[in-house]
Amino acid sequence: MVAIETSGLGKEYGGGVLALDGVDLRVEEGEIFGFLGPNGAGKSTTINILLDFVRPTEGSATVLGMDAQQQSQEIRRRTGVLPEGYQVYSRLTGRQHVEFVIDSKNVDADPSALLERVGILEAADRKAGGYSKGMKQRLTLAMALVGEPELLILDEPSTGLDPAGAREIREIVREERDRGATVFFSSHILEQVEAVCDRVGILRAGELVAVDSIDGLREAAGDGATLRVELADVTDDAIAVVEGVDGVTDVRRQDGGLVVSVGNGSKTRVLSALEDAGHEVMDFRTEETSLEEIFMNYTEGDR
Amino acid sequence: MSTLAVAKKDFQDALRSKALWGLSALFVLLSLLIAYVFAGFTAEIGIEAQTAKGLAYFLASQITLFVSITAIVIAYKAIAGERESGSIKILLSLPHTRRDVLLGKVFGRSATLAVPTLIGLLAGAALGAALMGEVAPVALGALLLMSLIFVLTYISIIVGLSALTGSTSRASMLTISFFFVFELLWGGVLIGISWISRELPFLSDDPAWIDILAQIPPSAAYTTGLTALIPGDIGPADETTADAFYQTPWIGIVILVLWLVVPLAIGYWRFSKVDL
Repeated sequence: MVAIETSGLGKEYGGGVLALDGVDLRVEEGEIFGFLGPNGAGKSTTINILLDFVRPTEGSATVLGMDAQQQSQEIRRRTGVLPEGYQVYSRLTGRQHVEFVIDSKNVDADPSALLERVGILEAADRKAGGYSKGMKQRLTLAMALVGEPELLILDEPSTGLDPAGAREIREIVREERDRGATVFFSSHILEQVEAVCDRVGILRAGELVAVDSIDGLREAAGDGATLRVELADVTDDAIAVVEGVDGVTDVRRQDGGLVVSVGNGSKTRVLSALEDAGHEVMDFRTEETSLEEIFMNYTEGDR
Repeated sequence: MSTLAVAKKDFQDALRSKALWGLSALFVLLSLLIAYVFAGFTAEIGIEAQTAKGLAYFLASQITLFVSITAIVIAYKAIAGERESGSIKILLSLPHTRRDVLLGKVFGRSATLAVPTLIGLLAGAALGAALMGEVAPVALGALLLMSLIFVLTYISIIVGLSALTGSTSRASMLTISFFFVFELLWGGVLIGISWISRELPFLSDDPAWIDILAQIPPSAAYTTGLTALIPGDIGPADETTADAFYQTPWIGIVILVLWLVVPLAIGYWRFSKVDL
């Protein structure tokens, strides 16, 4: 079954700002789907349409087989949400927040167990206004988990968390998937998605530019690799030389060196071209193409 | 069910407002003072009859100012504030409709304001009863009932206005303007209207509608409505001689009901369509 499906989804805000343009998205039941894109690409707008916070100007969306506009209340009954740009109720305690969700969804759940799962049980009876950003994020995640929802929609869940906290969230996301939930997870942080998602969709300037597994994306990006070259002196001439080598698809300047995307067999040619032109190569290493580079290709290249 | 969950959360939240308790303490003190002064005054000039009932009217006279100002303080951000801060996203991520949210806010904040209102009125009435040795149960019951309706109405107006915008500064402007026009400046507005009406021949020979206009502010409607519920001789018109319904004090209750429904309906109409 399909957990989320959009067809030709578009949203134009007042003043002619086109936030989404013809997005066709399909998220299967039981998968962890990473929704990637730089800030402002339209990730939150998509999620806001799924939750009926925002009404689309074109196309339609269904969630758990129900129309996102007409049956929003039932959708939200069966979905746990960690929204973006939210604010907690500063005068209520963490426990009262979770109890409010339990009341609202009319389910049985143990607030203490949920707060313990996200690691803030010791702060349960303090007012949430005094929580750190990371604790607020954990509290909101606990609220999303109330009642074992069929679908979890997490908008930038690792915002405000340190790496250990982000890892805990990934752990919870996996546990939820293993329980049978679908997880729809947006992020602009790539390692988050790479580590946990079954499939990813990449959104760029309101358009969905790729949907695939991580491995599939790597393959699609070519069998190329990345060559990192440390030079005694990085000059525009050095960049021009590298760009002139056959098989080089991209050259970027990074921390006093160059990062070069190359096809197979071109690496030595890059190095010799540099040395022939009189540039002193201090060091070099090759790396498998990271998701980061694939992502950059999709979101910054001239496509 | 959903409305109730929102109302309960909102009640827990708003009850912790420090401004609410500051205003409430002031209100309770004023009620006690009024009861004390009223009891002393009636004893001094030797009025025997109607004293407890008279106290009910005196207490009512200051309820309007307390309720209107406190309603604005605790409710102007009800919707606009949640939209501005983003906490509305938590509320609407849950299975609540926007109507549930709006009604839950009205009930939650009304309950919040009802607490100090009832405490103040009962404290004033109790002190009055102790000093005067007299209780007027019907008048007191009418006062409590009308005051609760008034609280619900005022909160409903302010929440309705708050639902028109996503900015708290605009919400405060709207609610304060409302207070100025309908509570403070309404007398002046009436003078203006009656002056214009003299220039308009098709209106000039019926002054009755000016009387109705005078009842439009929620506070005036409340006071007039109260005289409909309290039996006795204080009402402005004897019902047997009144030639139309709008000349009886019941007009106050009708106007209050309109205030209860109309601003909230307009607020809902706007809020239900807006992108958050």
